[in-house]
Amino acid sequence: MNRPPTAALKWPLAMVAAAALLAVLGISWSWDATRSAAALHAQAVQARTAAETRLSHSRAQQDLIAAHLADYEALAARGFVGAENRLAWIEAAQVAARASGVPALEYRLDPRADAPSALARGLPLKETRMTLVLPLLVETDLARFLAALEQRAPGIQRVRGCTITRGDDAPFEAVDRPRLRAECEILWFTVSTQRESAP
Amino acid sequence: MLNRQLILLATPRHIGMLDWRPGHLHWLGQHAANAAGMATFAQLVARHAHLPAVIIVDSVDEDYRGEVLPHVQGAARTALVARKLKQSFRNAQFAGAWRQARETTGRRDDRYLFAALTDHEWLVPWLAVLQREGVPLAGIAPMAIACQHLLARLHVAEPHVLMACRLHDSLRLSYYQDGMLRFSRLIPGETPTQLRGEAADEIAKTQLYLTGQRILPRDARLHVLLLDPTAQLDTAYAALTADPAFSVRRIEVTELARTLHIPDDFLLATPETVPLAAIAGKALPLNLAPTALLQRHVEYRWRRTLHAVAGCVALAGLAATAVLWLRAESLKDDIYQLDTQTRQLDVRYQAVARTFPRQDIAPEQLALTVGVAQALERPGPAVLALMTALGTALDGAPNVVLEQLHWAAGDALADNTATIRIDATLASFDGNYRAAMQRIEHFMQTLASVPSLHAVQLRSSPVDTGPDARLAGKTQAAGAAPGQAVRFSVDLLYREDAP
Repeated sequence: MNRPPTAALKWPLAMVAAAALLAVLGISWSWDATRSAAALHAQAVQARTAAETRLSHSRAQQDLIAAHLADYEALAARGFVGAENRLAWIEAAQVAARASGVPALEYRLDPRADAPSALARGLPLKETRMTLVLPLLVETDLARFLAALEQRAPGIQRVRGCTITRGDDAPFEAVDRPRLRAECEILWFTVSTQRESAP
Repeated sequence: MLNRQLILLATPRHIGMLDWRPGHLHWLGQHAANAAGMATFAQLVARHAHLPAVIIVDSVDEDYRGEVLPHVQGAARTALVARKLKQSFRNAQFAGAWRQARETTGRRDDRYLFAALTDHEWLVPWLAVLQREGVPLAGIAPMAIACQHLLARLHVAEPHVLMACRLHDSLRLSYYQDGMLRFSRLIPGETPTQLRGEAADEIAKTQLYLTGQRILPRDARLHVLLLDPTAQLDTAYAALTADPAFSVRRIEVTELARTLHIPDDFLLATPETVPLAAIAGKALPLNLAPTALLQRHVEYRWRRTLHAVAGCVALAGLAATAVLWLRAESLKDDIYQLDTQTRQLDVRYQAVARTFPRQDIAPEQLALTVGVAQALERPGPAVLALMTALGTALDGAPNVVLEQLHWAAGDALADNTATIRIDATLASFDGNYRAAMQRIEHFMQTLASVPSLHAVQLRSSPVDTGPDARLAGKTQAAGAAPGQAVRFSVDLLYREDAP
């Protein structure tokens, strides 16, 4: 084909340009429509998958609730779930001391702190350290006191450790005077709830 | 419709028109070379001015020359061919060259066929009509070229073929070597019967001429094809058949009709259409038209190409748009179905969730809370058992006075272990550290012998006999009162025995 006679081809060239323009416009419009539809489609797929997962989990959740609700409510009633009940803990210690024949009791409660993650396992588990100082007549008083405390504890507590110290080197006398001093660390555990943390 | 074209058969006496498109022929008639014929021709052309046209000329005023030229390409070839055309046909306006083949030996030169209309005055009025009506003229080719295409359509394999074609009371003899035109001449007849007897003589003369000009090899046997739809060459056929120098074949009307896909009756009514139908839609290897006459066809081809491009672009755009739009619509349908399914699933979930008791925490957290509580409530080391174990050991070491006992539960909830530290003194120390250390060692062995006590280690010794420590003291006489207290510490591990 020879050199193109440009002047005679104005209209055909315009047709080519118009066709190209229309093609570009059409493709652009439909591309945008497809892209936005694809985005909506992805969202819809995600929503359906989430709904399917929710529904499939609901049966397992029903089983979980059936298995653990009573225990959970019991724990909540005991004070394990929710805010601290320090007065109840102190009263429990006092009652345990009286029940085990410990004449006096000193106590100290530290601020509430997060429990170690190995214990918490993702729960908002808190621990409150209670330090008890007890005068003892004999070493077995401590065991009796701790057993009494565990029996009366309004919540969940664990004895962290104890130190028993002899008061003086005086020879043994058969008098009702404590010559041993015990200092124990007890951890009270509670689970913080949303309702509790809400202002 | 894209390949539709007008094919004109022009002779000095008249011009015929064939409207051709693939699979369809329409003979538009023949117009004499006079005023009336010119007028009807002009009217007809005006109606078909949008179609490209090819003119097949059939005239005695033709000249053919074969040449062998050096092999060059590009502009050099164009210049060489133009120069050769000017040398060969000095004043011919309608001339052309066809590069037929390349020699296989020697310099491997190119073999050309040059052709020209030596008298074109009769053609000018017809061309003027076409030019006036703006018909895109694709080219002008001699009748022998059209017959060459017919030869190809008939699948004639002989290397030396002389085609005798009788049309318009004239006889055209064209020689083809290996299917390519080498020479052609037209023998006009004044009366329809004039050429009947002379045809065989003309063929024989032509053979002699071709041999004399060394166009046809001396030992070559000429294969003569008689193309005569009107059956006027029967006499020649008989004569040539008797001559051993020729092999003759008569092309029957039925064979022609079958080859060209033309009805028999149409072919018998208009035998002129035979060469026109053969060349229809084919490229012209030899074009006699000057470049100026082809300008409209150049425009036509560009226009058609651009129209095709525009159509293709529009179609491609439309197709792509349609595909994408359909994809979007399909996605929208899917979205609607997905939304419906999601709503149905939500409704089912809500139905299940309504059976859940009112709780502030999720069921999974509820179970976890119970699990953690159960772990925390596992009993730690029993204090009484721990003290009993220690008491057993202390009973076996009466000289050891317990000062302080510290125990701490292990970190792990699973095992009931406790680390214990004992701070104690030795009663009745007489200053003999060796004896004191033996008593402490005995105490530690006593501790280790208790089943629930393990890993007994001396934490602090009453005396440091290491080479880096400063050691001072005083010895006492035997029987002296006990002196300073001897303090030591022991670490050990308490582990409850499995029940």
